[in-house]
Amino acid sequence: MSRIPLAGIEQQPKPISEFIARRGNLNVFRLLANAPDVFVGWTRMVDELFDSPTFSLRTREVAILRVAHLQGARYELDQHTEIARGAGLTGRQINAIVGTDDVDAAGFSRTERVVLDLVTELCNTRHLTDDSFATARAEFGDEALTELLMLVSCYYGLAFVLNAVDLDVDAAARFQP
Amino acid sequence: MTRIAYRDPEEMTDEARELTIARGNLNVYRTLANAEKVFTGWMQAGQALLASPVLPLRLRELVVLRTAYLMDCPYELGQHRDVARTAGVGTDEINAITSESDWQTGPFDATELAVLQLTSELLSTRGISDAVFDQVHRDLGPQATVEVLMVINRYSGLALMLNALDVDLDESARLPIPPRHDGLTS
Repeated sequence: MSRIPLAGIEQQPKPISEFIARRGNLNVFRLLANAPDVFVGWTRMVDELFDSPTFSLRTREVAILRVAHLQGARYELDQHTEIARGAGLTGRQINAIVGTDDVDAAGFSRTERVVLDLVTELCNTRHLTDDSFATARAEFGDEALTELLMLVSCYYGLAFVLNAVDLDVDAAARFQP
Repeated sequence: MTRIAYRDPEEMTDEARELTIARGNLNVYRTLANAEKVFTGWMQAGQALLASPVLPLRLRELVVLRTAYLMDCPYELGQHRDVARTAGVGTDEINAITSESDWQTGPFDATELAVLQLTSELLSTRGISDAVFDQVHRDLGPQATVEVLMVINRYSGLALMLNALDVDLDESARLPIPPRHDGLTS
């Protein structure tokens, strides 16, 4: 049960009501709407991350689900399991990402494995070894690698907020990526 | 040594450049500007957090330093030791926050201690006990509690990026404390 009351959507400033109309009437947005001074800027970041053509939806969801799993973020897992499925990840691949099936046998592409390895090392150790960094840089180049880190950063940090508040998963509302 | 090249502010969009210059043209920004399709939004999110009048500056910097310490992020620690000092956090207090447990007996008021407890527990266990959360929520109310959590969100995520890219601490440039706006809700 959410530890902070969720804000109503009726009297939100326009940038927030428009964001919610565009991305979904989610509990997480109504939670963050308690702090409108910071929420509006945060929505701009989220919009850019999801409007960017750098990664396919599928690659993004591999990263997001892995972060959600490693952070124990029930809310992120609930939202993004469905999005991942819609992006073409198989049940077996999703299970592998969340630790209940063998990653090696799940049929990930090389790029997806690089994403999984990078996220795993970074979330578990908070650093990357020179070798891991070199592998990721060779795969993505500087711009896309930095953008991948931005995506990981967004979901890693958000997971702390969601876990702290013990936010309820949404009954039906779904994020529109 | 920073693992990728810095972007020159001259090559940024007007909005990204203005935000970068206003925040001291720090190595962190010139590095993350490599992600040019998402950098401006990320800067806007940070600007909102820095300019919000909701949290006392001192309390915000306590959270930032504790997060930086627990995320093992030398860059954030290097910048925010100085920012915290400017915000009225004493050297002894800074040393206490950037140690495993000395902060528990440091010269902090009850609300600051509760917020430090929340930050420590959350980053160490990825969750918070009812008692710790309730005390912070009771002391600060919902708006400021969400802002504390958004500061942890921001600086924990940023720490991963700084550590992954091994960004060098700026020799002397430090984050200017931007003017805080009047607030949307005050």
